Amino acid sequence: MSNTAGQAYAFLAMTPIVSGEEDGLRAYIEGFAQTRPFERLPRTHFARLVILPDWVNDPSQPKEDHLHSQYLIFSTTFDGPLDSYLDELCDRMAPECKEVWGRCIGAPRRTRGAPLKNYLLHNQIDIGFFVSAYPHASVEKVQSVLARRKQLTDFAVRTQGLDPSELRHAYKQEF
Amino acid sequence: MASTVSTQLDMGDIQGDILFAYGNDYVCTSYVFVNVEGADGRSWLGALVDRVTSARPWPKDPDGATIKRDTTLNLAFTAAGLAALGVAPELLATFSSEFLSGMASRAGELGDVGPSAPSNWDPGLGTGEAHVLATINAKRSDLLERELTAFREHAERCGVTIVNEQHAELLGGQREHFGFADGFGQPAIEGVSEHKSVGGGVPEPDGRWRPLAPGEFILGYEDEDSRVDDEQRLPSAPATPLGRCGTYMVYRKLHQDVALWRKTLRDAAHGYEGGERKLAAKIVGRWPNGAPLVTSPEDEDPDFDPTQAHSNDFRYLDDDPDGRRCPLGAHIRRSNPRDALGWEGLDDAGLLAFRHRIIRRGMPYGPPLAPNVTADDGDDRGLVFVCFNASLSRQFESVQQQWLNDGNPFALGDDRDFLLGDASGSGKMTIQGDPPFFLAPQQSFVTTKGGEYLFAPGMTALAALADATESGL
Repeated sequence: MSNTAGQAYAFLAMTPIVSGEEDGLRAYIEGFAQTRPFERLPRTHFARLVILPDWVNDPSQPKEDHLHSQYLIFSTTFDGPLDSYLDELCDRMAPECKEVWGRCIGAPRRTRGAPLKNYLLHNQIDIGFFVSAYPHASVEKVQSVLARRKQLTDFAVRTQGLDPSELRHAYKQEF
Repeated sequence: MASTVSTQLDMGDIQGDILFAYGNDYVCTSYVFVNVEGADGRSWLGALVDRVTSARPWPKDPDGATIKRDTTLNLAFTAAGLAALGVAPELLATFSSEFLSGMASRAGELGDVGPSAPSNWDPGLGTGEAHVLATINAKRSDLLERELTAFREHAERCGVTIVNEQHAELLGGQREHFGFADGFGQPAIEGVSEHKSVGGGVPEPDGRWRPLAPGEFILGYEDEDSRVDDEQRLPSAPATPLGRCGTYMVYRKLHQDVALWRKTLRDAAHGYEGGERKLAAKIVGRWPNGAPLVTSPEDEDPDFDPTQAHSNDFRYLDDDPDGRRCPLGAHIRRSNPRDALGWEGLDDAGLLAFRHRIIRRGMPYGPPLAPNVTADDGDDRGLVFVCFNASLSRQFESVQQQWLNDGNPFALGDDRDFLLGDASGSGKMTIQGDPPFFLAPQQSFVTTKGGEYLFAPGMTALAALADATESGL
C-alpha cells in the first residue's frame, strides 16, 4: 500500500451523494472542462472526478448487489505532501468545493477550510499501487524542461548552417 | 496461431472498393451526402440497393478481359443517418462509441483544430445533417454526370435532400497534388491480397511476412485477436443483421496548400545539400514516383513499378534503424512503421504496429496548380481521404493521433508529421544525417475541410435497412 511515488502523492476519496443531487453534480463537474478550476492548484499533475452510479453485476452471480447511494470518487495526483495540498484545495477552490461536496452525505455545513479537509481525510481510501510518470519531477519542473526543450529546438532550427565559431557565439548568447 | 481463416469471405455480401480497389479505370468520383429527415428514406434506399456494387469479382469476356461496369455506386451511413432511418436505439447502441459520437466531436483527438476545426468545415459536414454518403465512380465524366442526374432526381422524388457534394478526379500521372504517386501501400489481407504480403503484410522477426486477418477490415470475420484467442471470438461488431460484412469508413476532405508546400521546399532547400527534390522525398519517405527511400536512398529509381510483387519489400530495423535513408519522422514511416518500433512486446509481436493498419481509398479533388507556381491561385484543391477499418479508434484514430500528431512513439519529442500533422507541436522535422537538417516550423500544408465517420454495411444489411417490415429493424 502506498500513496506516494517519489515526491508525488496520490489521493483518493469516495463520498456518498445525496439522493436527488446526482444529475446536478454530474452537470456541474462536466463544466470543469471549461472552467478548469484545478489550474488554481499548480501542483496538480492529474485530477479526476467520477460518479459511481452502482456496482456492475455479473449475470452469473447468485444475487444482485447494489449501492445504497451513488458515490463521488475524487482522485488526484500532485507534488509534495497531502496536508498542504488539501489546504490549497479547500481554499483556492472553495466555490467549487461547496458545489461538489455540498451535495454529498455527511459533508460539513461549511464546505471549505478545515472542516472540508477533515471530511475528505475521513473518506480517504489508501492506494494499493501507485505509479507516477514523473515520480521525481514536479509539475513546475516538467513545464520548465519542456520550455527549455522548445528553446533548444528553436535555437537548432535558427542556427543550422552557421560555422562553428558563429554557432558557439550564438549558443553562449542564447544559453 | 491459426494460419488460415475459418470462414471464406463472402464477396457477394461485401460492398465493392473496400477489399479490392476499383482501380484507375474509374477516373472520376462524386461523394454525395444526403439527409433523409422527413423523407421516405427507406423507399429511397430500397430503390438504390440493387444498384450498389459488391466485391463480387467482375465478369470476364471470352478473351479473359475484365468487364467493369461504367459506373459504380456504394453507400455508407452516419450514426445520425441510421437513427433517421429508424434503426432502433438498442441496435444503434451496438455500434462503436466513436462512430456514434461522430468525427466532429473527436476534433481534439484528431488534431482538427484552428483552421481545421469543424466550425470551419464545408456546409453539411460535421453537423449531423449528413445521413448517407453515396460514392459514385465513373469511367468518364459524362457517365458520372448521367448517374448524378439520375441520383438527384430520385432523391428529389423521395424528399431526400443533398447536403454536400464533392467531385474528385484522377490527376495526370496518377499523382496527388503535391506530386507524389499515392495509394499503393495497402495492407495485404488473407484471402484477398496474400500475394502482396511481402512489404504489405505483417513483418515477422524471422524475416518473413504474413497477411493480416480479414477481420481487421471486414466485420464478422476473424481478426488478429481472434487468432490468438483460445475461443477464436470475433471482433466487436454491430448487432445482427447490420454488422456482418460491414466496416467503418472514414471520410475526410483535406485541402492541400500546394503553393505553400512548394515555397517551403524551395526556401528550405537553399540550406539542404540534397536539393529540393530530395528534401520532398525525405518528408514523405518516398520519391515522387513512389520508390521508397529505404531501397533508393540517393535518387529516384526510374524503373520503380509499384505493381511489382516486391516493390514494397523493405524494413526499417535492419535496413535503416537510425533514419539515415528514410527519416524517423517521414510520413510513410509514421503512418506504417512496419518493424520500426522493435520486437519487444506481447508474443514477440512487436509493439503491435500491425493492429493499426487501414485500407486507404480516395481521390484528388480540384484543379492542379500550374507547375512551378509558388503563389496561391485561390482554387480549392486537395485529397478526399477515405479509409476502411474494423475499429475507428484502434486503427484510423490511433494512426492519426499517436503516429502522425505525436512524436513520442518514435522518440521524436513534440515533432509531428511535417506533411499532414497539425502545427500545434514543435512544427519542425529532423532529417537525420551528419549534421542533421532541421525543417523549420511553418503553417500546415493540409487543412481539414470536413469529415464524417460512416458505416458501410454489407449487401444483406443494406437490404434489411431498406425493408424494415421484412427485417424488423
